[in-house]
Amino acid sequence: MHSFGYRANAVVTFAVTILAVMCGMASLSDNFNSPSPTADVKVLNINWFQKQPNGNDEVSLTLNISADLSSLFTWNAKQVFVFVAAEYETPQNALNQVSLWDGIIQSKEHAKFWIHTTNKYRFTDQGNNLRGKDFNLTLHWHIMPKTGKMFADKIVMTGYSLPEEYR
Amino acid sequence: MDWQGQKLANILMQIILVVSTITAFGIGYSIGSFQMMMFTYAGGVVLTALITVPNWQFFNHHHLKWLDPSEAERHPMPQLNDAAVAAPKKKATKIK
Repeated sequence: MHSFGYRANAVVTFAVTILAVMCGMASLSDNFNSPSPTADVKVLNINWFQKQPNGNDEVSLTLNISADLSSLFTWNAKQVFVFVAAEYETPQNALNQVSLWDGIIQSKEHAKFWIHTTNKYRFTDQGNNLRGKDFNLTLHWHIMPKTGKMFADKIVMTGYSLPEEYR
Repeated sequence: MDWQGQKLANILMQIILVVSTITAFGIGYSIGSFQMMMFTYAGGVVLTALITVPNWQFFNHHHLKWLDPSEAERHPMPQLNDAAVAAPKKKATKIK
């Protein structure tokens, strides 16, 4: 600590180390949060359901997605990435997951929402297995922190199915 | 800074930074604002730098005691009126 430069270096180095510790503590504090989100997705309409020229089934849906994700926001939450995926089984694949819609929620105030939309991304199968298919719709979320660990979870909603014939 | 001053600077730096951390985290967590935590901590770091880095007077209360110049006294500087002693040396170096 004998010179100005030595002391300045010591202060800066120690301050940055302690900052890392503080960010670690902030991330750990997220574990004390017990979130209670709710979500509901309704399929309002099957707009069309066709077999594409390449042999794959494709369906267009109109969805009403409503959710209350405000309990996911802690003081250490930067934004929440939320997406809705359709899950179903086919003879070739034990599990198919197709993302239909996603969004980014940047504050607690915007976390309680409903949206009436067609699927943002195409609901296409690997094959032509969708006629009469029962599927689940899952709402996934990723809580992106300001610092530290990212938490992710989902809500599974069952009971949806596609028509028997193409339209 | 003298030795005691350097030790004091070191201890002050560590204590003020740790107290800043605890205060910042406490404030940030209780009001739920990450930004306030960062601002409080930044203020603490600036305060630490202002107190411990410049060479303030209170770091110099225990003056360093240098040794007596006893060694220097055994070899006094030559006096200027010894010209007779110095002249022959000078003649030898003159270029003719």
